Amino acid sequence: MSEATPKITTLEQLHRYLYSALRLEHATIPPYLTALYSLHPETNSDARHVLRVVAVEEMLHLSLAANVLNATGGTPDLTRAGFVPPYPTFLPDGEKDFKVDLAPFSEATLDTFLKIERPAKAPTKELRLVPRARSARHLLAADPDDPDMQYYSIGEFYAEIERGLEYLHAEYQAEGRTLFVGDPSHQITPEYFYSGGGEAIPVTDLKSGLAALGLIAAQGEGLGGGIYDGEGELAHYYRFQQIKLQQYYQKGDQPGQPSGPPVAVDWHAVYPSLPNATLAAYPDGSELRAAAVGFNESYADFLGLLTRAYTGQPELLLEAVWRMFQIRDHMNRLLRNPLPGSPGVNAAPTFEIFAAPLVAGA
Amino acid sequence: MIFPQGAANRTDPSDASETVYDAVIVGGGVAGSIIAHELSQADLRVLIVEAGPAEDMTLTGYEGYLSRFYSATSKDNQSPFPRNPNAPMPRSTDARPIVPGQPDTASYLVQNGPYCTDTTYTRVLGGTTLHWEAKTPRMLPEDFDTASRFGQGLDWPVDYAELEPYYQQAEREIGVSADVAEQTYLGVTFPPGYVFPMRGIPLSYLDTVVGRGVDGTEVKLDGESHTLRVRPFAQGRNGVPNPAYDGGKGYLPTGAVSTHQVQEGERCQGNNNCVPLCPVQAKYHAGKTLAKALGKGVDFVAQAVGYKVHVDPVTGRVSHLEYRQYRDPSSADYVTRTARGRIFVLAANAIENARLMLASGLRDSAGLMGRNLMDHAYILCWALLPEIAGTMRGTVCTGGIVDLRGGSFRRQQAAFAIDIHNDGWGWATGSPYTDLHAIVDAQNKFGPALRNALVNQISRQLLLAYMIEVPPSPSNRVTVDPAYRDQLGNMRPVISYSVPDYTMRGVAYGRRLARRIFERLGAEDYTYYDPADYGYVTHEGNGYCIRGGNHLAGTHVMGTAPANSVVDSTMRSWEHENLYLAGGGSMPTIGTANVTLTLAALCYRSARRMVEQVRRESAPLAVSAAH
Repeated sequence: MSEATPKITTLEQLHRYLYSALRLEHATIPPYLTALYSLHPETNSDARHVLRVVAVEEMLHLSLAANVLNATGGTPDLTRAGFVPPYPTFLPDGEKDFKVDLAPFSEATLDTFLKIERPAKAPTKELRLVPRARSARHLLAADPDDPDMQYYSIGEFYAEIERGLEYLHAEYQAEGRTLFVGDPSHQITPEYFYSGGGEAIPVTDLKSGLAALGLIAAQGEGLGGGIYDGEGELAHYYRFQQIKLQQYYQKGDQPGQPSGPPVAVDWHAVYPSLPNATLAAYPDGSELRAAAVGFNESYADFLGLLTRAYTGQPELLLEAVWRMFQIRDHMNRLLRNPLPGSPGVNAAPTFEIFAAPLVAGA
Repeated sequence: MIFPQGAANRTDPSDASETVYDAVIVGGGVAGSIIAHELSQADLRVLIVEAGPAEDMTLTGYEGYLSRFYSATSKDNQSPFPRNPNAPMPRSTDARPIVPGQPDTASYLVQNGPYCTDTTYTRVLGGTTLHWEAKTPRMLPEDFDTASRFGQGLDWPVDYAELEPYYQQAEREIGVSADVAEQTYLGVTFPPGYVFPMRGIPLSYLDTVVGRGVDGTEVKLDGESHTLRVRPFAQGRNGVPNPAYDGGKGYLPTGAVSTHQVQEGERCQGNNNCVPLCPVQAKYHAGKTLAKALGKGVDFVAQAVGYKVHVDPVTGRVSHLEYRQYRDPSSADYVTRTARGRIFVLAANAIENARLMLASGLRDSAGLMGRNLMDHAYILCWALLPEIAGTMRGTVCTGGIVDLRGGSFRRQQAAFAIDIHNDGWGWATGSPYTDLHAIVDAQNKFGPALRNALVNQISRQLLLAYMIEVPPSPSNRVTVDPAYRDQLGNMRPVISYSVPDYTMRGVAYGRRLARRIFERLGAEDYTYYDPADYGYVTHEGNGYCIRGGNHLAGTHVMGTAPANSVVDSTMRSWEHENLYLAGGGSMPTIGTANVTLTLAALCYRSARRMVEQVRRESAPLAVSAAH
């Protein structure tokens, strides 16, 4: 057995990886929400539901990563500067062949989403870390210890964390210590988060920690090369693929060959929002500027609420439900309004959170 | 919940008419779906004959209902559903004051009066549970023998204890969110350790504001003292699963129905338009059960309206059902078909069951078919609270006052339960749309002033809706008349109905109590009953507008003998031993409980008997060999 040495051999490294996991899971949410709310109301039902479910499950993944971090004595903090990346941003995939935009729903946007979630397996564990091009500035799953390396895929990134968790657990056990010292009351349990097929898994030991990490990976890209995860729920990659192939999967289908009911897509029933909008796009003193600043402030508040939920007040996640409605309303206010001076282009939320000092609301 | 793709059309109706099913069920609503699912679990061969359109239940189809509702000018219970002259539905907007001696024949229900009901039921897949509010209180133990106890109504042939395990089954299927401690009152008991599938839906802020004024209020009735408090209702909508359910196995909420996998509706989002349609299907509807039954292989023929139940004159058994299958909702073309089975189950609701039986010329020996039609009588009392109380934060109804559901006063006057409506004055005045018109047109407000005025007006609204007991009365009835038919040639229901004095005494008391509650809350009473209203009823010099509750019951009541009832305690017809009349129509009284949970429990109980009957009657004859 020539098991390669794990990249994670200290608790500090594990916590850094898990913080990166929180950033990674969160970073997919603004693009998914932007695409979701760019759809005209009462159109594109199929795409709307796919986007919504995937976004909700990314929030589950965020909670699962927080659970593992909490269980091993770490402290999730979603309010730290740089937690939300500036878009467009790179996500890890071995070829670094795409950046993720904040953009309205389109075929190109869908292709990006497929890349985010695509199943990818590195041939060996050593190849899990591949050299990173110098040009990549914002790498979400970049190896926290080595800025020149990145992971082959999101799934591989989690595989490395699983390996580290197992390694540290064994090491702690050998020394008569326990890795899982976190306060169990900080765990997010199914009472506080529910997303259909996947439930929040409270983490108290190695087994539950691996289950939580395994669920994240399986919900994204399927279990063992299949289209479903362990709960019988269609993985994100295949959910998105249904829109591309314009047909639903059903039980028994092979990857790439859905045989269920047809999926209807109307690529034109979409608000043409400005991709990767920044506050600079909105004139000082304009209503759009105020709405965009207001959105960023309320989204920052929301991340603050999640941080409190992940640090001992899990019941706040129930409040997060109506806060999500508020986020939707705020986003709609921007996405449904034309940008003055740019015919055929609508405004968009900028998600510039903690990147720079917030401009006071107009 | 996956609806099997193509299931709405997969059964060839000509093949079906050549098949002798174990059971033929008329109606794909809550009663029919539960029975179909139970029988299919016992491996019986089942056919459902459904009047509604033959379309698979899909998320996009459901969203078509939503779009129709969103764009409808009238937001009544039937606004989401397309008009279908081949399976017409009563609509509350059809109700008109009735001139004595002149029946109102303009809409589907022919109304003789004197009272004009605005009650409705829905003839689509899933039935009236598509628009129900999904309150799921159990009946009180004292509701089962009101004749013996209070000298009012009829006694049931079963009691609470007998029905209790079936209530549990119904609560599992519907997915009830409630806390046992809150639902244990006025004699309602649960087995030790029982928990509901999901934890209770919390009280709204409005409930707590009302509670501050109401809790601890003492009222005296018939010499008994009752202490009032605001209490949460049991609800058939998805909440937080209780991990202690089912001996610690927990509960998995059932979400939206579609032909492909969707994750929606596993939790109530508080959208507040539960009636007429939950936007996310967090509210139970019978499509969830129907999808399961179809997944078990139940055959299904839609666009098929029962025309006549045929009975063998020698044995008295039902030989076959004659139904008319229309080609398209917009066309009057149809073909006549038959369905054959060992047993037949009419599960088309209290009015349609009686209508079909009477149209088939099937009257029971006691002449009770169609009689004792019941529906809860509602009165609405509304006021403006002195403070912003968060009205419009859903769901539609989370709490109310249930302390006067029972008591010795029921000898003299009807019991009631009071709903606190989280959707403001909507039911009474058409708010918030009417408020908008008033503020724009009469007050000439716009912009921020309009927004502020709307918030100030709407979020202070308090509506108390009294759901008042209506005892069975033989003169309240469904009949048919060959002169009145629908497009398909089916005889339409003819309704004769008056609100009993017993009920009106409860109404008058309820109105007085509302004044007292409003006073305690410092709320300004805006209640007004228009004498020109179709539901206007006078009692001891005062007038009240009575609304229907869509809790139809009593047209084929159950009892202990053919002389006092149409069906036995298993909802089996006394006259026709292979015919079951399922649903609210079999209930001899309705107390102050919304009827769905109880009728669902009755269906679970009856399904056992149906399975036994089919197995017994289809078993090979035991030929005794020579000993």
